[in-house]
This record gives sequence, C-alpha cells and structure tokens, in this order.
Amino acid sequence: MDYFRSVTQTVLGTPQPGHQPTGAETVERLIDRVQSSTLLEDRRDGCRALKAMSRKYRVLVGAHAMDTLTQVLEADRNDHEIVNYAIESLVNVTGPEEYPEEAEEGEEALGGPQSSALGEQFTEIFTKRRENIELLINLLDEFDFKVRYPTVKLLTNLLKNRPKDLQEVILVIPSGVSKLMDLLSDSREVIRNDTLLLLTQLTKNNTNLQKIVAFENGYDHLFEIIKGEGYADGGVVVEDCLTLMLNLLRNNPSNQTFFKEGSYIQRLTSFFTLPLDSEEGWSAQKVTNIHYMLQLVRTLVAPQNAAQTVTSCQKVMSQCGLLQALTSLLMASGVPVDILTDTISTVSDTIRGSHANQEFFTSMMAPSTPPRPAIVTLLMSMVNDKQPFILRCAVLYCFQCFLYRNQTGQAQIVQTLLPQTADASLVTAGQLLCSGLFSPDPVSNWFAAVALSHSLVDNATQKEHMLRVQLTTSVGSPPVSLMQQCMSILQAGTKVLTRFGILMLLSTWLAHSPVAVHTFLTISSAVPYLTTHVSANEHDELEMVCQGLCAFLLGLCVQFNDGSNTSFSGDSLRQLVTDRIGAETFSDKLGNISRTEAYTKAAKSPQLLAKQPSELVFDHEFCRLFKSLEVSCVRAVTPQLAGSSSTEVTPAEVTKYKDIIRDQDAEITQMREKFASFEATLSQMHKEKENLAAELQQLSDENTVLKAQQGISVKVPESTSDVPNASDERGDNESDTKGQVSSDLATLQQQLLEMTHARDYYYYEMYKKDTELTALQQQQQQSQEQEQVQQVVSTNEAKVESQQGRQNAADFFDSLSNPEMENLRKQLEDLQLVLYNKDSEIQQLKDTVSQTSVLTPPPDSQNGIQVKKICEENNEAYGINSLLEEENATLRQQIKEYEIHVKQLQTQLETSAAMAAAATAATMTKGTSADASALSRCKHLEYELDCLKREQEDLLVLVTDQESKVAEYRRKLRAYGEEVTDDEDDDEDGENFNLSDAYDDDLDELQ
Amino acid sequence: MSYAYLFKYIIIGDTGVGKSCLLLQFTDKRFQPVHDLTIGVEFGARMITIDNKQIKLQIWDTAGQEAFRSITRSYYRGAAGALLVYDITRRETFNHLTQWLEDARQHSNSNMVIMLIGNKRQHSNSNMVIMLIGNKSDLDSRREVKREEGEAFAREHGLVFMETSAKTAANVEEAFINTAREIYEKIQEGVFDVHNEANGIKIGPQHSPSGAGLTGNPGAAGGQGGGCC
Repeated sequence: MDYFRSVTQTVLGTPQPGHQPTGAETVERLIDRVQSSTLLEDRRDGCRALKAMSRKYRVLVGAHAMDTLTQVLEADRNDHEIVNYAIESLVNVTGPEEYPEEAEEGEEALGGPQSSALGEQFTEIFTKRRENIELLINLLDEFDFKVRYPTVKLLTNLLKNRPKDLQEVILVIPSGVSKLMDLLSDSREVIRNDTLLLLTQLTKNNTNLQKIVAFENGYDHLFEIIKGEGYADGGVVVEDCLTLMLNLLRNNPSNQTFFKEGSYIQRLTSFFTLPLDSEEGWSAQKVTNIHYMLQLVRTLVAPQNAAQTVTSCQKVMSQCGLLQALTSLLMASGVPVDILTDTISTVSDTIRGSHANQEFFTSMMAPSTPPRPAIVTLLMSMVNDKQPFILRCAVLYCFQCFLYRNQTGQAQIVQTLLPQTADASLVTAGQLLCSGLFSPDPVSNWFAAVALSHSLVDNATQKEHMLRVQLTTSVGSPPVSLMQQCMSILQAGTKVLTRFGILMLLSTWLAHSPVAVHTFLTISSAVPYLTTHVSANEHDELEMVCQGLCAFLLGLCVQFNDGSNTSFSGDSLRQLVTDRIGAETFSDKLGNISRTEAYTKAAKSPQLLAKQPSELVFDHEFCRLFKSLEVSCVRAVTPQLAGSSSTEVTPAEVTKYKDIIRDQDAEITQMREKFASFEATLSQMHKEKENLAAELQQLSDENTVLKAQQGISVKVPESTSDVPNASDERGDNESDTKGQVSSDLATLQQQLLEMTHARDYYYYEMYKKDTELTALQQQQQQSQEQEQVQQVVSTNEAKVESQQGRQNAADFFDSLSNPEMENLRKQLEDLQLVLYNKDSEIQQLKDTVSQTSVLTPPPDSQNGIQVKKICEENNEAYGINSLLEEENATLRQQIKEYEIHVKQLQTQLETSAAMAAAATAATMTKGTSADASALSRCKHLEYELDCLKREQEDLLVLVTDQESKVAEYRRKLRAYGEEVTDDEDDDEDGENFNLSDAYDDDLDELQ
Repeated sequence: MSYAYLFKYIIIGDTGVGKSCLLLQFTDKRFQPVHDLTIGVEFGARMITIDNKQIKLQIWDTAGQEAFRSITRSYYRGAAGALLVYDITRRETFNHLTQWLEDARQHSNSNMVIMLIGNKRQHSNSNMVIMLIGNKSDLDSRREVKREEGEAFAREHGLVFMETSAKTAANVEEAFINTAREIYEKIQEGVFDVHNEANGIKIGPQHSPSGAGLTGNPGAAGGQGGGCC
C-alpha cells in the first residue's frame, strides 16, 4: 500500500500548469479524453491521470468515471498498462479504508459520508453488473504482473465490502474459483499471498465456496505453502494459510470428512513436531501461528461436530502421532502460557469420549522428578491459585474430557480417595482434589468440586464408593466422611463460589442414587440448612442462584428417596416444603437457575468459556443434569402445583421446554437413524434369508430329483434349472446340464424298463410257442399211431400218394422253415453284436463318468457344494450306467436263451417234419387227411414264426433306440468335458466341441 | 493408508436418480430408502484395488437440482471420472443426458486450454472418463428406458455403460471400479498427465516422480506462456 501511496503522492505533487481547475472539471475532462480519444497513448494518459486523482477525488472519480473505466477494461484489454491504470483507479475508489488526502478534501467539498461506506457504495454499483466481475476474473488469465496483481486487490476489496453479492457472482462464473485457485501457484509471492487473503474473504461463511476451494486441491496448496514458509516460524503468510484452512473446515462436515479422508490429519503432525526443534524461541507471530494450528486440530474434534466424525478423527490423530506430538508440546518447557492453555484444550478435545485416547492420556508421565502422571501434574496447577486462571480452566476441561464416558477413569480417580490405597509418599489425584476442595481459595474449591462431580457423572457405582471416603481434618480428631465435610463447608457460610461448587457436587452425587440420598439425610444439619436457604429472602443474583441450587438438592432428596430414613421420607419432606417454604416459592426458586445468563452459557458448550473467576457459576454437565431433572423435581415436591402451573407460562419456561423439545428431537432423530440402520440390517438379513431359502429349495429339489433317479421312478421332474440362481451364472449352466443329464438318464431308464417289458413279453410268447410246439408234437404222435393202425388196413394203395405227400411236406419245410430260421438267427446274431457294442460303450461311459468325478476338483470353496453335487450326479450316473449294463447283460442273456429256444424250436420243427414225413410215408392211402392237418399246423407255425420275426424286429428297434440314447448320454458327458471316444457320431462333433469349450472356459474362470 | 493413485470422481445427473444412494452404497454398503435432497455437493471416499495397486477414490456427489447447477459445474474441472446417472423408470432423466454431457464436456476443459498451451495432446482435453449409469435396475416392472437405448447412447458418445441398482447393490461396485480401471488404463497409455492436478489424478506419496518429464512441461510453466501475446 505504501508503494501506491508514494506513487500517487508523486503524481499529485507535480504542479498543474496554468490556473487551478477544480477537481470536478479535471475529472470531467479526463473522462472525456479517455472516452473520445482515438489514440491509445491519449487514453492511457487519461487513465493514468484518473488513477492519480482517484484518491483525493474519490467521490468524483467513483461517481463519474466508473463506466468509462469498465469500458477501458473491455476495449483496451490487450494494453496492460492502461488496464493497470484503470484497475488501480477502481481499487482506490472501492478501498474500504479512508485516505488521508481524501479526508481533507472531503471535509471541504462534501462534508460527506464515511469513506468505508463510500467504498461499499461504489462496490455495490460496480457489482451490480455481473459482467464486470466476469471481466475481472477473465483478466486473471493475463500473466502480466501489471494486470494480475491489481485485479486480485480489486477483487479482495469488493469481497471485503460486499461479501455475499460477490460470493454469489463468483460461484456462478464458470471456473471462477478455479482461476482464483490457480493464482496460488503463481511464482510471484506477492500475488500468491494476496490471493490467500482474497480466498479467505471468498470462503467466509459460504459452505459451497469452501467446498469448491477444497475440491480444487486447496489443502494441498496450503500445506505446501506452510511447509515452504517453514511451518510455525513462517511468519504472517503461514497465519493467512491457517486462517483460510480454518475457514474451509469450520462448520463444514463435508470438508472435514474430506480432510480426514485425504490423510491431511497426518500432515498436521509435522506442525507440532517441528516448532520444538527450532531455536528461534517464541516470537509473537509464532505464538499466533501455533494458536491457529491448535485451532485447526480443535475444529476437527470439537464436541459440537457430529459424533461419528469426531470419533474417527480422534482415532486418526492418535494413530498418526498427532496426539503424542501435542502432549509433548504440553510437557515441553518454556511454552508460553496461552499456547500451553490452547494445547491443553486441544488435547482435551482429542481425548474426549475416546477410550483409547483417554487411556493414552492416563499413561502419560510428566518429565518431573520424581516422574508423576500428567494428570496429577495438571491437577496440581489447577488447585494452585498462583497459576493463570485460563490455564486452570483448561486443566479442568481436560479433566472433564478425560472422565467423559470413561468409567475406568472415574473409578481410578475415586480409588485414590479411598482409605486403603492412600499412600502418603505419593501425590494422588484424590489428594489434590481434596486439598483443592478445602483450600481457602474459592476458585480452587469450585474447580475441585466440579472435578469431583465429574468422576460421579452417570456412574452409580462410584457414587456409592464415594460415600466411603473418610477425611482427617486435623491431627487427633476422628475422621469425617466427605459428604459430612461438604455440609460443614456449606454451613461455614463460605464464599458463594465455593457453595456453588459444593452444591453442584452434592446434586450430581444424590441424583439417581437413593443410597446417597439416605446418607445425606442422616446428616442432621442437612435438611435444616437447605430449607433455611430456600426460604431465604435475599435478592442478590448470585444468592438467588444459591437458593435455587438448594431447592434443587432438596427436590432430589424427595425424588430419589427410598423411604429408608423414617424422619425424612418423601412425604414428610414434601410436607416440610409446603409448610415451611411454600410450593410456589420452591418452584420459583428452582426456576431462577435456568433464567440466569450463566446457565444458558454453560449449557451451550462443554468447554469453559469463563475469562475470569467472576464468570464461573455453572458447569456444563450439571446443566445437563438440571435440565433433565428440573421438571420431575417440581412434580415430586409439589404435585399440587404441577397441574396449575400450566396456566401461566413464563418465557423462561418456554425456552426450557424448547430446550427439552430440542433435546428430545435430537434423541428422536438419533433413534430414528438407529432404527433406520437396524431396519436396513433387518432387510439385509431378510434378503440373505430369502437367498438361503431359495438355495435350500434348490438343493432339496435337486435332492428329490436325485432320489427319484435312484428309485428309477418314472416321474422324474423335468429339470431343476428353473430354480433361480442369480449369484452364479456358472452354477446355472451346471445345473442346466445336470438337469438335462438327469432327465436323459430318466428317459434312458424308462426305455430300459420298456425294453425289459418287451423282452418279458417276448419270452412269454416264446413260451407259448414252445407249448404249442409240444402240442403239435403230441398230435403228430397221435397221427403216427393212427397211421400205424391204418397201416394194417391198407399197405399198397396209398404208397404213391403218401410218397407224394411226404415229398410235399419236406418241400414245404425246406422252403419255409430253413431260410426263415436262418434269417432269424442271423438277426439274432446281429442283435447280439449290437448289444455287445453297446455294452462296451456303456463300459466306456462308465469309465469316463468315474473320471469326471475324479477329475473335477473343487474349484473353490464357494462352489464346493455345487461341485460336490456334480460329483454326486456323476456317481449317480455311474450307478445308473452299471444298472444299464446289468440290464443289458441280462437282456443279452435273455436273447441268448431266446436263441437257444429258437434253435430248439427249429430242431423240434425239423424232427416234427421228419416225423410227419415218416408218418406220411407210413400212412400211404389214408394220410391225405393227416397230411392236410399237418399242413395247416405248419401254416400256423409259419404264422407264429412271422410273429416271432416281427417281435424280433421290435426288439431291434428298441435296441437301436437305446443305442441312440446311449449316444446322447455320451454327448452329455462330453459336455462335461470328458473325452468319449466313439466313431459313430462324428456328425455331432462340432457341437460337442463348442460345449466342451464353454465348459473349459468356465473352469478357467473359476480357477 | 498409502495409495498408488488418487482419482477424483464426480457423480452427475438429474435429481432423484439415486446419485447419493449410489455413493452411500459404494462407501458404506448400505441403502437409505429416504434420502434428503443433496445441497450443493457432498463428499465420500473409498479405497479400491486395481492391478494389485491401491487406488483411492475421492467422490463428489453433486446436487441434481437445477438451482445448484452453477455450483456443481465448478467440480467438472479437476475430476478424472464422472458417473453420469439416469433413472431407468423415468424417461425424462434419460432425455436430459445430452445436456449433462454437453455441460460436462464444456466445463471440464474450458480452462484447460489456457492452462496447457504448448501441450497439444491436452488441448482438446476430454480425457475425463464418463461412465453412463442406468440406475434402479431393480424396478424392472416400471422400466421406461430399455437397456439397449442406454447402450446405444453410450456407444454414440463414447461412454462406458452399466445398469445398476443402488438398492440391491447390483453393479454398483463394478460401476465405480470399472471407471477407475478405464482411468488407470489411460494412465498406462500415457493419455493422462498424472502430474497435472487439474486432471483429477494424484500419485500416491510413495510413488512420487518416477516418470516425471515424460509428458513434457505441463502446469506452472504453461501458465506463463499466456503473457507473451
């Protein structure tokens, strides 16, 4: 700024020639010159002069020349010098600060408005045209320093004056933020540093812009700059970087997540490890820088943030060593108090509610002699009234955070108070707290009481343990209980701050603990003290708070009274309140608490915001307790009031209820979220269950199929492939093939069954024929006998004829029986051959099936079940195959038998023919009739044979069928990837290859 | 938490197509049937593995509403991958794809040209890998946009295509990972300049400049070239 000031002063210093024209005239002339001149040189001179006047005659230049200057930016953009003058003029016009030379002039001419308001007004005029801002952003593309630098300054001015407007405009300019971010990489540090200020203004209170800057690698840029500048020792630039980074993170959960996910927390660690190593001491700038660095950490783990984010950040912080770095800063010597205070607060937020971090904190030792736990060292400074107040506050907050949701820690602290562990040589937390409680310093009392109350929060066990704490007040006197001692302090009429502390401790102690209430009521002075104070009539604000606290304590005695104390049962206490205090007074006094400003403040945040001892009143945890029990307390003590009080609603009550509603709302939202997540889990489980059920169904279906196949049942389910199996396509394929195979097997089975039936039938026919043949034989014997009888009657007469007849019969048999039989036999032999072939095929198939079952290894555990199923299927197939084979063997056997039968038949026929011939020869004359009958018999026989032949053909067809089935079966096996050698179905090879290829692919994929 | 590469993604598309649900399913593996309208932009992150390399995905889930369009445009530049989502049960979300694509192509490179003068390959940069996603594939009964139409659109505009369901998680993982794979392949081919932040790619801390100088002189030096005219 000085640079410009000197420049303008030089320009102003040159005396104007001729008479002195007024400022207005000059500005007018210059505007005219810039607008109308055709020469660039002239326009440039005009702009230069305008710039020179823009400070002293700021109003004139701003009011009249703004449009002209904007036109210059548009029209003469390529001349960097004139652009420079124009922008510089605008910078001066919109500057938020007041110029000394302007003040003189302003008083003379206008007596006018404040310059800061002026700057804002001009900013408003300039910003009204969105194109102007776009123009400026586009000017940033120019690399020339003369253009870029003033543009950054102008934009910063505009942002300072009207942040909201500018932010909105820049947000919608395409790549607006990107261009600004690019300036951070500018090699000229002046531009880079001013850009930091510009971005800080830009991101102030605008979540969207904060996110975009983060997206544009903002964190990376900033960390680079901080590193380049030397971290905390890096001067004001580091501070600017940290301010900007804080802007990006504060109240912006999305950016916080991004910060965590981008592993930037890890980079924070180096912030705190390096400053300790440096030799430079603690300059003011360094203190500021470290202060901002600590702020940065706190922003990430602030209790106000979403619990989930805080927890994950805390985890990362302890993992990456940031917590360790912070604690070593805490323990380092020579650290300025405010930094130490900040560090304690930061460590507090880092350990708050995180069990692992709390444990780490417990184990931390201070580098003192002898080494003591860090907690003890910190408590020592808390109860030391020589220490700075803010530091003591920070320690109390640290202690609170250490005990927050930490039952182990609470137990440890209470343990140090109990008699059996008291070791005189060691300073313990308990000792320090007790000494604080009874020290003459009221602030120490308050701190110690609040600290003790935190070891009891939401922890019924410790409330009981604490009752056993005994104290020795002075040498020789008998020990008194802690609670008794507290009462004594109260009665001693000490400072109000001490009483606040003790009353809050007692309230926390008695709440939700009937045992503690009982013990409290046995202290004889307790109830009288409380009733006296509640009914007291002092109007000092702090005293009223004290009365309220007493009322609350009395209320707790009623609410959590188990009736074990006969003199002060719930009812008698209620009566006491009504009689001695009055129900309305009681609830009024109670209500006083929530009406105070201190209460609202303390309830807002767990951090202690007090800057001085007088601001200490309430503790955050106590406020939480009070809020949750106030209403039920009033109801418990004054049931008659609870109903009537609804007619009159005080604003404080409204806010109270609002608070309650808000709390409940938050709880409901939390519950709802939980519910939603549970529901999601449930639906997921349902889905899984359905999947499992479907799988089970599929398995049982397959099982049924297998069972059906095993039982050679005719009703085989068509296929199992219909069962959906979305998860595994390969599984689908397999089950498809399996289904086919099984159905094929079933048909094959059926065929076999039919064949067996046919064979049985055949056999039966054979048997019939056999019996008929026997009958024929018998008849022939009969005829023979007849012939023998006839022979006696006539011997010569029928010789010729019978000879003729015999010839005929023989001829007939020769022509008919013999070739037919031969055919039949041949066919049978063929059949036999075919059966044999088939048999060997089946043998092969059997082998391959067994190979398949061996060769298909379990591809992976997931498909294990499926593979097992395949194996089972294969075994099944194997069993069926062997069955088939057996069937075939029996079939062959049958056919052999049948063949033998046919042979027998043939021989029988031959013998019968021979016998018939002999008979005809014997009968001679009367044989004609016998011959005829024999002839008809023979014809019948012929017919029978025909039948036989046909049946054989049927059998042949069946065998062929079976053969084709076997071929199909073989093909299926090929589909499994098995090599089945057969020369008969070459024509199907193409298809088979495809199938096996697909299978191989599947296998590869699995492996 | 070390990684070989870091990719920046954006998720874009009409309002209500399930962008936030896709992100939630990918990062948290859960589905929220009722989801608030996204305000501006939300952030999510997850680690994946490609080619045995750890890759960190940083994902910016943008608001689909027209009112936020100007804000979300700021995220196009600086993203290596975009997931362009439509709803298969709402035809109009499909019809708007062209607009989205124009927007993405326009804003992902407008500044790039100036930034990267002298680096011709980057000149007409639309290296951004865009994955077209037809979401809600579980609602097949209410389908209004055929799968084939999506495929055709993707083919025509050079996008990768997938149909997903944020509800059943079908293809969600694949959509994000396939996009990353595409980017990874482009890096291997040398199409992406990994040292230019504006490309939305960062090399992990332990993988620092092994192949520096391979892609000429990008970034900072490029900016200076602008002043010479």
